[in-house]
Order: sequence, then structure tokens, then C-alpha cells
Amino acid sequence: MKGEPKEIRLIVNGKVYELRVKPKTLLNDVLRKDLKLTGTKRGCLESTCGVCTVILDKKAVRSCSILAVQANGHEITTIEGLAEGDKLHPIQEAFVNHGAIECGFCIPGRVMMAKALLDENPDPTREEVRIAMQGVLCADVGYVKQIEAVEIAAEKMRGGE
Amino acid sequence: MKDFEYMAPKTVKEALSLLSQYQNETKIIAGGQSMLVVMRQGLLAPEYVIDIKALSELDYIKYDEGEGLRIGALTTHRDIEKSPVIMKRFRVLSEMERNLATIQTRNWGTIGGNLCHGDPAGDPAPIFIVLNAKLKLISQGKERIIEMENFSKDMLEVDLHPGEMLSEIQIGNPKPHTGVAHEKLMVMQGDAGIVGAAVSITLKSGNGICEDARIAVSNAASVPLRAKEAEKRLVGKTITPPLLDEVCQVASQEADPPADVHGSAEYRKEMIKVFVRRAAAKALERAKEG
Amino acid sequence: MPRVDARAKVTGEAKYAADIEVPNMLWGAVKRSPYPHARILNIDTSKAERLPGVRAVVTGKDFGGFKWGWSRETRDEEPLAVNKVRYLYEGVAAVAAIDEDIAEEACDLIEVEYESLPGVFDPFEAMKEGAPLVHEDHPGNICVDYHWSFGDVEKSFSESYLVREDTFQTPRMAKGYIEPPAIVAYWPDANHLTVHAAKGSPYFPYRILSGCFKLPLSNVRIIQTFVGADFGGTKNDMVNGDFSAAMLAKKTGQPVKVQYSQFDELTVCLRRHPMWITIKTGVTKDGKLKAVQTRVISDGGAYTRMSPLSNYLTGCCMTLPYHLENFKTDITCYFTNNPNSAAMRGHGMYHTRFAADVQMDMIAEELGIDPVEMRLRNTIKNPKPGKIYQTVNELTVATCGVEECIEKAAKAIHWKERKRKVEGDKAYGIGFAAGAYLSGAKLSGHNACAAIVRICEDGSVNLLTGATDVGQGSDTVMSALTAEVLGITLKDVDLKRVDTAHTPVDPGTYGSRVTVLAGEATINAAKDAKQQLLEVAAKEFGVKPEELEIKNKRAFVKTNPQMSIPWERLVRMACYNAPGMVIIGKGQSSRGVTRYRLADFTKGVGDAGTNYSFTAYAQEVEVDLETGVAKCTDNSVIAHDCGFPLNPPAVDTQVVGGSYHPGVGAALYCEFKMDHGLTLNPNLVDYKLPRAYEAPMTEVIHVITNDPFGPFGAKEASEGSTCTAPPAVINAIHAATGVWIKDLPAQPEKLFWAMKKKKEEEK
Repeated sequence: MKGEPKEIRLIVNGKVYELRVKPKTLLNDVLRKDLKLTGTKRGCLESTCGVCTVILDKKAVRSCSILAVQANGHEITTIEGLAEGDKLHPIQEAFVNHGAIECGFCIPGRVMMAKALLDENPDPTREEVRIAMQGVLCADVGYVKQIEAVEIAAEKMRGGE
Repeated sequence: MKDFEYMAPKTVKEALSLLSQYQNETKIIAGGQSMLVVMRQGLLAPEYVIDIKALSELDYIKYDEGEGLRIGALTTHRDIEKSPVIMKRFRVLSEMERNLATIQTRNWGTIGGNLCHGDPAGDPAPIFIVLNAKLKLISQGKERIIEMENFSKDMLEVDLHPGEMLSEIQIGNPKPHTGVAHEKLMVMQGDAGIVGAAVSITLKSGNGICEDARIAVSNAASVPLRAKEAEKRLVGKTITPPLLDEVCQVASQEADPPADVHGSAEYRKEMIKVFVRRAAAKALERAKEG
Repeated sequence: MPRVDARAKVTGEAKYAADIEVPNMLWGAVKRSPYPHARILNIDTSKAERLPGVRAVVTGKDFGGFKWGWSRETRDEEPLAVNKVRYLYEGVAAVAAIDEDIAEEACDLIEVEYESLPGVFDPFEAMKEGAPLVHEDHPGNICVDYHWSFGDVEKSFSESYLVREDTFQTPRMAKGYIEPPAIVAYWPDANHLTVHAAKGSPYFPYRILSGCFKLPLSNVRIIQTFVGADFGGTKNDMVNGDFSAAMLAKKTGQPVKVQYSQFDELTVCLRRHPMWITIKTGVTKDGKLKAVQTRVISDGGAYTRMSPLSNYLTGCCMTLPYHLENFKTDITCYFTNNPNSAAMRGHGMYHTRFAADVQMDMIAEELGIDPVEMRLRNTIKNPKPGKIYQTVNELTVATCGVEECIEKAAKAIHWKERKRKVEGDKAYGIGFAAGAYLSGAKLSGHNACAAIVRICEDGSVNLLTGATDVGQGSDTVMSALTAEVLGITLKDVDLKRVDTAHTPVDPGTYGSRVTVLAGEATINAAKDAKQQLLEVAAKEFGVKPEELEIKNKRAFVKTNPQMSIPWERLVRMACYNAPGMVIIGKGQSSRGVTRYRLADFTKGVGDAGTNYSFTAYAQEVEVDLETGVAKCTDNSVIAHDCGFPLNPPAVDTQVVGGSYHPGVGAALYCEFKMDHGLTLNPNLVDYKLPRAYEAPMTEVIHVITNDPFGPFGAKEASEGSTCTAPPAVINAIHAATGVWIKDLPAQPEKLFWAMKKKKEEEK
């Protein structure tokens, strides 16, 4: 039947959720409306801006470009899943301390993009950082501080200072 | 987006059965990175959607010395980009993927989805054409193999019969002294190419004469364009810069590119010259390296 | 000093307007016109009203003839169009329903009968004799018309060694922020309206909604959410969705949320004016400016909005940063059937600074003078302390660091050693530009701002200010100023988010005024609260309050620091010693209004700002000679005089971000392409918003001049770099290719044909 809701199971930030969603529902809507995880932003809805980026099974993806039903059974990490209580993830700390945040709207998507990059490639070249950042648009920082913040976080995560 | 009935078959066999059952009003969704955009805009509103994304049977990269490379249709762009065997033996594919859209798109979007979308601006199709790739198309109880260059029929229209889906891309091992390269015109990294060119050049060992040449151009026509006249000028000759200039002129003349906000048809024609030459020069260099 | 709001943003806790959800909420959608210019003959909402799940439908008529505008004289826009639509997709009706899908479906069921009218789509069509009128009461489609004259340009031209005239063009640009507008509106009771919205300046909507719904100002509550950037309006001003949400909430008795999509933003929301600038300049033999005359034609779009100010700003600062005694300008802004134009970073000035600083390079080339040297021959010198430099149009400049900026930027980029480089198909060139920008904008009308500092009994401090942080870091700066004055730490200060029910009025984030004006108000409020505490301490120690100071959370007698009392104890003492005190400090900024008279738009005279920042920008560009693709390299320096950088890392980010997105974006990438009112590239890929891979890693040099009119010497940071980026990039392209691109952006095809043409001309 058209539009018949489907049962899906999502593991978001380590927690299991059983949901019923209409097939056309985007993963972005499920995260924000059903799970109230509004850290992941609603941006362009047409796969251009990247502020909706989350990590699905260790890969950065646009949550506006995945049907929730396709995410069934997968592990999803959103920005809310990064900090451990009061302790920020090194990437979050780097962004805060390095002046890489202005209006902040692109930050959750950008931080998740950086996390996916550094988890896969702990020692990226600047070129590789730029390519990762290319997937999330910003309108006010000028990207320089953000690229540097990712490099600072990478060094910290590798054990440097 | 309009509502639809959603089916998620667990095997290829089940998928084909559903496809044959719901032939009209049905769309297959793989990564959906092209499809969801048009669905959200209301340009596409299928009654039934068959989700094949989870069919791991079609997610593979296989290589052997005899058969060559076989890529399952559901392999993601990112997996192609990062595949050690592809980086080693068909490096042009990995290079192309690096500049295709953004990492997020490549992580979820599939090569099969890209080819079946049939966008003449797309990067993979011209490369598969010059690699002489074949496509395996399957339906319930049947399969057929066609040449990549015959797959596109018109803008956003490919040769898929009702009930059929793409299962595999087959690329035979290149002959010795073959070089393949791809270059596209981007304003920003990751842009769709205003134009793009893929060139494969095979030299006769020893005397450096061009034995075979294949040139395919994106955003040059309503389908990926194989510049056959241009290719003919190369075969049997020693490739020199003046010859390349001539060849690019011919390729450009064969093209009938679109005009849009990114470039006029005239500009694209000029750029086809530039990018065919750049890709051909690089392909030649690689062919000489062996 | 990390921003106080950074943590909330980096963890996802920060709530932006689209994240707000309240119980019993309905979803609103706006129905839009399919014509750019048409009369509305009839609207039939009956089918929409009958759709299950729909709770209310509103049309323009429901607003009782209300019109609004940026100033009292320019109230020409309706919440939803009533008789006529003037741009494509202008809102004509709105629906509230139980979910987004039903709301949109209902919009489709609203039947509107239009009579399509011929339209005008650029100023040249608009100015033609007999052209269709966008507004019947604006003959000639003229929105704004200024004519100013200072000195005697004709005489100066006749005395000039060289006179040159060129025409330049700036593109139609999106604001570019990634967060589309969103609003949640509800009525706590029939006489009170509450709104959560992404507004860069909540006090504009507060007044507008008060007028629209005939509510006293005190009953209109705008609660500021986190704002995903603003860049000077849309998020100040109202959109159809805002009025719709409020009216639908009134009709239904339930909260209503309206979320715009990025497509909405890129088709109906505000854009930077495209402008055509003809500039005529006369110079002496050694390159000194004698006279400048400009003719500016701009496209204001369908309604007035902020065009009076935007166009005023194209001229008022032409007398900076170079000494200029003869200046004449004629500025006309036309109505067209395009979406509204309005402010954007580098407001007004960027258009003419682009023209002037590129032409300066053209003149330097003709005269055989080095472009940096030519600029240095013309720069206004930094006035000595206590002295003022006044321009011919009566801008008052107390500090001007542009000479130092130019010297430092030139040195850092190794200007003297530069050479045009060609490596294969790529050519490299370095371009230079300098400019000025106003800070502490002095707008006409209500311009005051205030702050309140409340000291709680345990010594913690609340700061209430109407100043909005849209990302520029003002929250952090205000908190830091408070802490500095009170002698406590940043951690002790808690800034309350703007909420018109509690925070004092403020014009908002606009004209680079927040740090300067709200900063002053904050300092005064903190001083007021401090004085109250010092009076208590004075009684305790038997001295006069002037003999006391507070530092490092200790109040002490200046001449005998042993006599001291810790902050918390002093506060407790003040609060609890009978009869007890409530410590509230209040402060206003007077700079904005009383020090100098307001700028006169019609004559072009008077201070547009409280003080002026100065910038010099050197940028290297790589051009692919075969394709015309131009790209900034990492060889990039900005020297910026912001008086005193209150928070240097934040200033760096502001300066770099201000140069790249709206500056380099205008020079190389961004342009809306239109076809009779239809936007052909309404998405962020076809409209090329600047991205990370191409961003230059710009070095920022701070030039410190300690302006007496800014808090702790500060002036604006960031819009100056917006104005200098386009000329620097275009001058760099010229250095690399020998080609002048006078109409922005220098997109590849444009540069390609220009280079080809030059090659053919040289043959």
C-alpha cells in the first residue's frame, strides 16, 4: 500500500530505536522530529550544503539524501553522540579553541565529516582535509580556521599536543 | 515527495521477481543520490520503489588476470576510489572518483545508480566507454551483455528493458602499452564537469605508433559522446602535439554540447579541445610508461 | 578567548529556529505566485479549507491593509500580496495544517486567478519611457535618487593630467547563509504574541509585528534563537512566512511553525543589489587623485526595503581611504520585478570600492606608477592623537591606519619582488587593494541601544543586552567587557539571550555596530553597577568611592591595597545589609546619536558611522590560461585596522570570512542568473557558493590605532575586507593575464573570451 509505514530499527549514538516510518521519510526528519536530535541540521534538502551530515556505519553521509527505511539496521552517529558527558571530543575542542565557529550552523555536520575523516585516516594531508571540508558549506568563517582545527585535532588524536 | 509503496527485497532473485511483477510505475533505488533529488522536486513520482541498496550480492570488486575487472553495480563510488586493485590497475577510475561530487555522496551512492541515471554530464560513463567496458543486465531468468557505449540512448534515458536491472560492469585487461586518463573542467573541486574527456591510447610496442585510441566526452551531447572521427585520426600514427591539436579540433566538431548557467555551447566546444588534449597527452604519457 | 556560545554550537545543543518545537504545533506553508508581475483578481481558498488536517487559511486581505517597510516613508510591502504581486513566488496566501505535507497539498488547492502584467527585469528596462510601473506611485520606477556634489569636479578634471572613465558591474548575489529562515509563532493569549525566530535584529520584527497586529510593543515578544548568520538582513526583515505564521497562529489558537527551504531562500529572499558603476577619475601626473565622479545605477527589486541606505552607502565613503577634495555622484536605484535587494556584508561600499580600486590600478598602469606606491601617495594619514581628519562630506575620522596596512600587507606578500609567473598553462599574478568601512552605523530613526547588568546575591552577573550575536562573536565581547569593567572573570558573567520581553531595545546586528555601540552601552551598564558596589565598599572603609578599584575579584583602596574585600563578600554585604539592595546597572550608548548629527542621505553629508576601519588586501591568483578558471592561492594577506582587536582570534576569523565568502565570492564565483524574473540557478551548486578547497589560507595582520570613539579603542572588523577582496582579485587577474574584468564575477567563460580577445587584438 502506498505510504504504508514500515517498521525500522536504528542504532543512534549507541541506543536502539524501534520506529514506524513512512517510506518517503528522510533520515534527517526521523533524527530531528522523531528522536528530537536537533543537533543535525535541516539545510537545503537537496544534497548541496551538507549541514545534515551524520556518520552511518563509519561513513559520512547526508541524512537528507537517505530514506530512513534505507538506514534500517544501521549504526548512526550524530553530533550528540560525540562528547562523553562534559568531556568534548578532541575535534569539538579544537573547533572551540581555534575560533573555527561563528554562527555554528554548519558545525555539527562539519564536525561529523571531520570525525569520519580522522577515524579512517588519522594523518590526512591538507589536501585531504580540504576535500573533506568541501562537502559541508559555510558562509562566514572562510574555512581557514576550520581546516586548521581539523589538523590540530588530528595531531591531538595521534597523541601529539 | 509523494508517497510510494516500498519494497526491500533480500536477494537479487527476489528483486528481479518484484521487478517483473511491477514493471510500470516502478523505480529501483540504490543509493538514491541522484534519484532522491528529482523525487523531492516532484519530477519523479513512482508508485512503487524497489530498494536494492542492501543487496550485498552486487557489492563487490573482483579482479583476475584472465577476466579483468568486475565491479558489482552496488559498489559505492567511495569503494572504487579506495580500492587497492583499482588504484593499481585502473587508476583512472580511482582518480575520477576522487573528484566526483563530495565524500558523502560517494559513501552512499553506487556506480550502478550513477550509470543508470544516464546523465551525459556524468564522469564514470566516458571512462567506461574508453575502457571498452561491458554491462551485464539481468532480469528474471535472463541476462544480456551490452557495450557501455550503447547503454545511453538519450539524456537521462538508458537501455534498460522493463524488468531489467544492471548487475555488473566488466572491464577486460588493457593491452600492454595502454594509457588511460580523464580530465574535466571544474570551477570548484567536486563540480560536475562543464565538459570532461576520457581517453585511452594503446601504442604498438617498440615503435610508439598508436594502435588504438578511444575518446569519450561528457557534457558534449545528450549522451556521453564517443568521438570516433577524432579517434580515427590517431590510429596508425605517431602521436605528436600538432596531431593532438588536430584531433581535438575534430572531437570538438563532433560535439553538440548544451548551453546552461555554467557555460555556453561555444565555450564548451572550445573546452572540449582543451580537455581532449589534456586527457590524450596524459594517456599517451601513461602508455609510454607501459 | 573562546566564544561563550561555542560549546552549545559544537555539541548540537544550540537551538536554531527550525529546531524549536512546542506542544500542539501546526505546520505552515506559503502559497506563491507563478508570475513575476500580476494583478490578483481572485483567491478561492474553499478547497484548501476542506482538506482534512487543515486548520486555517489566510490571505493578504486578512492583514487589513497593513504595509511595512524599513522606514516610515517607505512602507510599501504587504505581509501577503493583496492586489498585485511584484516578483516571482511572492506569497499570496498561507495554510496551517497538522503536518507539512498536508500544508503543502492545501497550498496547491488554493485557486488564484491572476492577470499577468508585463514586467521590467533590470534597471535599463525599468528606466525606459513608458515602461511598466512596478509601483504606480513611483514614476520612472525610481526607488532612490541621490545627487551629491563636493568641491568642483569639472574644474578638477580640466586640470588633471589624466582623466579616465570606466564602467563596472557587480553581480546579483545571495546572502549565502546556510540556514534558511524559520519561525514559530504563538499567542499566549489574545493580546500577546510570542515568536521564536532567526532574526539578526529582533527589534525590527518587534515593531513591525506590533504595527501589523495592533499590539502594544510591550506585548510583542521575540525570543532570539541561535541565528545561522545574517549578513545584514533578511533575518532582520520579515518574510511572508513570518507574518503568515503569526496570523495563522492567531486564527487557529495554536502555535504555527513555518520553515523555508534553501530553494525558498534562493528564490524569494533578499539579494545584494546588482549595480552598474561608471566612475570617472582625474589624477595629477604623479598619480594623486584630483576628482572622482560616479554614476551608480542599481536594481532594488520589487520593494524599497533598505535600498535608501544601501545606495547611500555606495557614495558616502568614497572619500575614504584616499584624500579626495572633489567628489560628485549621482545614484539611482530602480524598482524591478525581481526579488528584493538589500544589505549584505560590505553594504553599499563594496560596489564602488571595487570600481575605484580597480580603476586605480588601471590609472597606475597608464602612468607607469607601481599600484601600491600610487595608493601610498593618496592615503589619508593617521591623525595625531586629539586631532581629527574630516572628509569633504563631513566624515569624522579620528584614526586611520590605512598607510600602515598597505605597507605591512605589501611587505608580507613581498610586493616589491613580485613577478608574473607562468608555469605550463597556469599564470600567477598578485593584486592589491585598500578600503575603508564604517563601524557603529548611525542609521536614521531609532538608533539607541542599552544594556542592563544585574549582579546576583552570590556575585554572579547577568548581562542583558539587545545586541544580537549572529555568529560574529558579540556575545563573547559583551561578556568580556562586562567582566573587565567589574574586575571579575568571563566565567562569572552570564549573557541572557535576546528576548524583547526582557532585554533592552537595540537596532541589532547591522552596520558593524554591535561591538562599538552595544559595547559602549554594556560598559556604561557595568560601570553603573560597579559604582553602586563601590559606594557600599566606600562606607565600609570610610573612603570615597573614587578611591576604590575592583580587580581580580577584589575591591580595594587604591592607595592602600591591604584594605580590600573579596567580590562575593562585597556583593553579599550590599545585598543583605539592611535594608538590602538590588544591584542593577543600566547603560546606554550615546555615541550613535548625540556626538555627531545624523547623516543626511539627500546631501551625502555627515557621519555614516561612529568610526571607520581600514583594510589593505594582497592576493595572488592562479589563472588557467586555457580555460579561464581563476583561483586564489594561499599567498594571501590582509592587514586590517580595527582600532584595537578586542578578541584577536575572533577578529581574524571575521576578517578572513568577510573577505572570502562575500568578497572573493563576488569576484570569482557568485551570480544569480535571471530570465524575466525567474532565477535560473536557485541551488547552492549551480549558484556557486564559495567552498573549502578553494579558500586561501589568508594571513591577517592587525594594525592598532586605538580609536577614541570605540570601546577600548575598537572599530569594526570584517566588512572592510569584503570591500577590498574583489578589487584585489581582479587586479591579480590582470597581473596574471593582462586582462581587466570589469563585470563580476570573473567566471571562467568570461575570462576565457576576454583572454582570447586580447590575444587577437595583439596580433
